[in-house]
Amino acid sequence: MTDFGIEFVPRDLYWKTTFYAIQAEKTGFNTLWITDHFNNRNVYVSLAIVSAYTDKIKFGPGVTNPYLIHPIVTGQAISTLNEIAPGRVVCGIGAGDRTTLQLVNVKPTRPLSTIREAVEIIRGISSGRKVKMEGRAFTVLGGKLNFKVESKVPIFIGAQGPKMLALAAEIGDGVLINASHPEDVARAMEFIKNGIIKAGKTKEDLTIATYTSLSVANKAEKAKKAAIPVVAYIVAGCPESILSKHGISMETATAIRHAIVQGRWKEAFSNITEEMIGAFSICGTPETVVEKISRLVSIGTTQIVVGSPIGPDIRKSINMIAAEVFPHFKTKEEFVGD
Amino acid sequence: MTFKDIVSKIPSSTWEVTSERLIDIVLNSKNAKKMPSGLAKTILYYWQRDQLASEIGLQRLLEASMHIDPDKTAETLKDLGLQELTVLLESQ
Repeated sequence: MTDFGIEFVPRDLYWKTTFYAIQAEKTGFNTLWITDHFNNRNVYVSLAIVSAYTDKIKFGPGVTNPYLIHPIVTGQAISTLNEIAPGRVVCGIGAGDRTTLQLVNVKPTRPLSTIREAVEIIRGISSGRKVKMEGRAFTVLGGKLNFKVESKVPIFIGAQGPKMLALAAEIGDGVLINASHPEDVARAMEFIKNGIIKAGKTKEDLTIATYTSLSVANKAEKAKKAAIPVVAYIVAGCPESILSKHGISMETATAIRHAIVQGRWKEAFSNITEEMIGAFSICGTPETVVEKISRLVSIGTTQIVVGSPIGPDIRKSINMIAAEVFPHFKTKEEFVGD
Repeated sequence: MTFKDIVSKIPSSTWEVTSERLIDIVLNSKNAKKMPSGLAKTILYYWQRDQLASEIGLQRLLEASMHIDPDKTAETLKDLGLQELTVLLESQ
């Protein structure tokens, strides 16, 4: 059976995000990911309130980045959450969203060594160990929490490029493949395999999650309209190697990125084509969504993350996914809740 | 007249649909930021316990929707055949 995660962006009022989180738990989602961007509400404050109103759904940042948030702080935050909701916390980390980092002039340099070191620090701190590291990206002279940590927090690494995918499989407890198209996910699986072999793991040791942009509605056009802003951000931050696979030029992506950074939304969104929506989102009616998710599952995805926008009406789309998508991938006991 | 008195006039057979419609108002209104934080937390409390379609849940939802969008709330109640309640709500 396939696990389902769901992503919320805390751009919404805190109580709306929490309302949807409760709904996600009730309808049978397994994991809740909240994005971490400095210009939205704080991810850990959002997760703390979610933890107070839910009982079993797993949750965590999806994803934080080590450029704006030092990994020792991330380790502290997830350990605190793990005290509030023992065993329910997961931690997603990635190299950051280029478009947002650009706004504060932060350059995601040396992403591989930065993520490798960040994961080591987070894992050490959140396991209650004293961390000492003199790395390429981080130096920690002896960091340790002053409170006891009871259980391990699984670390998921968000990845898109070949080397990051391999690294994610090598050192992560899970991989969050940043893709929605089956061909991108199939390519990602090859690199993940390399990381698994390097680490001497088996595929079963790893959760392989596909972190999609998903938009579902009864009418395909409504679903597409909701997907456009999210696809614009994805194209703007996508590596050239992946853009070229979908016939999208780097110039087009750069133009979209500049328009977003400068707040020229209409221009950014008007550049989004049907092909881009098809390449970077799972979008359409429930039937279309089931068909596309089936392809991802057949490739080896073990968790589907329903990422933004979810749909034109989040509440209705969550209910639609539970009623019309879950029955194809979960047993009845798994999605009707306890 | 209190929200408790007003909700007591809603037939229990329509609690479910009334709750659904009021939730839609609260979540989708452009005025959602007007929601008092304390009331939001009360609604989350009842939502977590599956009580938004109960008498007490409806009271808080009605209070919230009146706070956020009184016109839309009145329109919705009329749609549901509860127009007599709109007069009572106007006296709030």
